[in-house]
Amino acid sequence: MVGDAIWYEAAHVVGITNALNVAADGLAALPTVTALLPPVAEGAEEPAVAALFGEIREFYARAEVPAVFRFLARDPGYAADVWAAARRAFGDNRLSRRLKESLAFAVSLTTRSAWGSAFHLHEMRRLGVGEGGVMEVIGVTQMFSSYTKIADTLQLDPDMGGIAPADESPAPGGTPRGR
Amino acid sequence: MPTVRLRDASEYPDPAQKIFELSKSWFNHDFKEPPAMSRVMAWDPEFGAPHGRAMKRAMAPGEFSRGEKEMVAAVVSGVNACSY
Repeated sequence: MVGDAIWYEAAHVVGITNALNVAADGLAALPTVTALLPPVAEGAEEPAVAALFGEIREFYARAEVPAVFRFLARDPGYAADVWAAARRAFGDNRLSRRLKESLAFAVSLTTRSAWGSAFHLHEMRRLGVGEGGVMEVIGVTQMFSSYTKIADTLQLDPDMGGIAPADESPAPGGTPRGR
Repeated sequence: MPTVRLRDASEYPDPAQKIFELSKSWFNHDFKEPPAMSRVMAWDPEFGAPHGRAMKRAMAPGEFSRGEKEMVAAVVSGVNACSY
C-alpha cells in the first residue's frame, strides 16, 4: 500500500459513499420525503435518464436502479454527474472494486448508514468476498472504532504520522517537482 | 494535549512490558517509547491484552491482506475524525 495514488482513490470512495448515504438514508428512504419528492419511476423516465439508469443497472448487475439514484434523477444533469463520480470512484483502478466496496461498507458501518451497510455488503458478496472476509472488515471497523474513541477521549497526539515515506511523484499527467 | 500523563515504558510493571514487546513487533518500528496507544492499552493489561488480541485477529491476513486492512482502519479513523 505504497504511494499516494491509492490513498487518493480511497478518499474518493469515502467521500462519494458518504454522499450517497446521506441522500439514501436522509431522503430516499423516508416516506414523508418521497411523498413530496417522489423518485423517478423506472420505465417512466426521459431518454437521457433511461440511459443513465441502464448504466447503473449494468454496473451493479441489478434489475432495479437503487432508489438513491432514482431520487437524484429528479435533476437529470445532477444525477449524471454524481453517477459519473461514483462510477469513477468505485471502478477498478489501482485499488480493486472489491476492496473499494469493502471500504464503503466500513464507512457505512461507521456512520450507521442502514442503506449503505446493506448496499455495500451486497456488493462485497457479489464481487466475491466470503463471509469470513465480511467478518474481517467488521472486525477491523469495530476495533478501530474503539481505538479512535479511546484516543479522542484521552486527546492523544499522533506519534506515528512521520513513519510513511513521502511520495514525491507528481499529480497524474503532471511534471515532477524541480523540472 | 493528552488529558492524562503518558507514562514512559520504564514506569510500567513487567506484564505491560510484554505488551510493549508485542507492539514493537507488530509495528516493526523502533520507537524511542512505545506508541501512545500501546501505553494506554498497557495501563490495564486485563483490558489491553484481550483488546489487542482482538485487534491482531481482525488485522491478520485472511481474505484481505494486512495492507488492505490497514486501509480499512485508516478510512474508519478518518470517518471518525480521529487524528491519532
